[in-house]
Amino acid sequence: MEGSGSRSISTDVDYFRPTVYGLAASAVLTLLVVVGSRSLLHYDSALFGYTVASVAAFGAIVFRYAIWLQRPATRAYWRRGWQLFLDRGRIGGNFGTAAKTIATNLLEQRFIFKRSRSRWLMHLLIMWGCIFSAAITFPLVFGWIHFELEGARGYRAYLFGFPLQTMDGRGLLAWLTFHALDFTALMVIAGCALAIHRRLYDRGAIALQQFLLDFVPHLLLIAISVSGLMLTASSLWFEGYMYSFISLSHQALVIMTLFFLPFGKLFHIVQRPASIGVELYQQRARELPQAKCRRCGVEFASEMWLGDLKEVVDKLGFDYTMAGGEKLQDYCPRCKRILRGLAYAGLADKTDRVF
Amino acid sequence: MQETMFIDPQRCIGCRSCVAACRECSTHKGYSMIYVDYLDRSETTATMPTVCMHCTEPTCALVCPADAIKMNEDGVVMSALKPRCLDCRNCVNACPFGVPKYNSEMHLQMKCDMCYDRTSEGLKPMCASVCPTGAISFGTYEQIVPLRRTKPVNAHIFGNQKVETKVYLMLPTDEREIRVDGCGVFEGRVAVDGEPTESWIDTQVEETDKSNEF
Repeated sequence: MEGSGSRSISTDVDYFRPTVYGLAASAVLTLLVVVGSRSLLHYDSALFGYTVASVAAFGAIVFRYAIWLQRPATRAYWRRGWQLFLDRGRIGGNFGTAAKTIATNLLEQRFIFKRSRSRWLMHLLIMWGCIFSAAITFPLVFGWIHFELEGARGYRAYLFGFPLQTMDGRGLLAWLTFHALDFTALMVIAGCALAIHRRLYDRGAIALQQFLLDFVPHLLLIAISVSGLMLTASSLWFEGYMYSFISLSHQALVIMTLFFLPFGKLFHIVQRPASIGVELYQQRARELPQAKCRRCGVEFASEMWLGDLKEVVDKLGFDYTMAGGEKLQDYCPRCKRILRGLAYAGLADKTDRVF
Repeated sequence: MQETMFIDPQRCIGCRSCVAACRECSTHKGYSMIYVDYLDRSETTATMPTVCMHCTEPTCALVCPADAIKMNEDGVVMSALKPRCLDCRNCVNACPFGVPKYNSEMHLQMKCDMCYDRTSEGLKPMCASVCPTGAISFGTYEQIVPLRRTKPVNAHIFGNQKVETKVYLMLPTDEREIRVDGCGVFEGRVAVDGEPTESWIDTQVEETDKSNEF
């Protein structure tokens, strides 16, 4: 699919500031790696490839996010969202709203459940599988967590160089900790299998999907998970057979996925939290004065929202000013349809011979 | 020439076959994305069928903060991408034709995508395949236009804004575009004991047609 935003977005994109933000983000992450691993003392040099890729991908995501915020509509929501959130006297309630939205939208994902139950399960498995995996692997890669032996069987984890509790290396907790990535891999594989099944059999999905955007992310996640499980299998049951080859393949797949993050489907991972701002915006909008349709008088949107929307439409270079000075957006959607119908019905002059 | 839709409102008899058939489309299963609106029920039986006109520069896509609405290589403006749509409803209120629908519980916008599951396989959209009067037709310009005495037009002027579309409207006159301006007539709300009640026309249409919520 081609981009729809050729009208204004290509003309006034500022690449300079997003580049600066991206480079700054990469620099900050690099600094955190150095600090968190205590001047690279606990840094595992075998994971250097992952680190470089993560630092580059983080910068790329920040760059992409900054470019995204330049869309007139996105910028309007971003500014108004923060303005409403930081409104003095309401900040306590806003935190409450945000917490509720995070719980229902981002954690529970009730809206996906409403779309389809199997889709919800699929997304739940993939999302939590990936989140747990990332929460384990990134701190390990950056040297923020490392383990040290204490005594014969004691393992002590260190976070940013600060000691945490010890655990028995042969105990259940240790077994669960060391195999956590195997469990998350199974979650991701199950979720991706559900997703691919839907994409192979659902007529609507078949019509709309594209290989690069819809299949490749699932295939990459499956490949990462399978190669990760192969590492466990190799070390546990095959005495390290082909371990370095599998390890290199795993690394290559992870790096490919990291570089894929700013594009296509995976970008929703960083984009989706914006729904917290949109929800807050809509909640406030419901409390504010409502705009009435110029024709039928029904309250159909808040005045603030409609004002922001008209500003965005103007910025995009449209001029929907009607003869009476009002904008087309001052009419509710149904009246827009009827206005058009009336304009059509008014075309034929009754005295004219039409046919 | 590419196939597209030709909408001829004067042929519409308001049977709503299209509304029922639209629900069968696989890309928005169970939900109809087409509208059949009464114009002025006290004056005329005329109805206006509205599908997405698939603008060449879609306002809905440009006002989308999530960049979720994409146009494909055939010029068909698609429903919002499901992972991206934030349910902000900018598109619902920005569309000059009043077309996009939304569902708050699903956090989702959907709209007519010209039955992409069917048209991409050479079939007609559901609405065009069931319309008994040819008010909604699907085909190439060369196929449809010689059959009609009405004039195909794909430009609307809304106030000062010209909007060109992939879908054609069949005009009974020789105009080159259709101009939409001004307030139009509204039947008004019937006041009972000074209390404004729902307008008579509102009792005649489906809930989804009033609010665009599916």
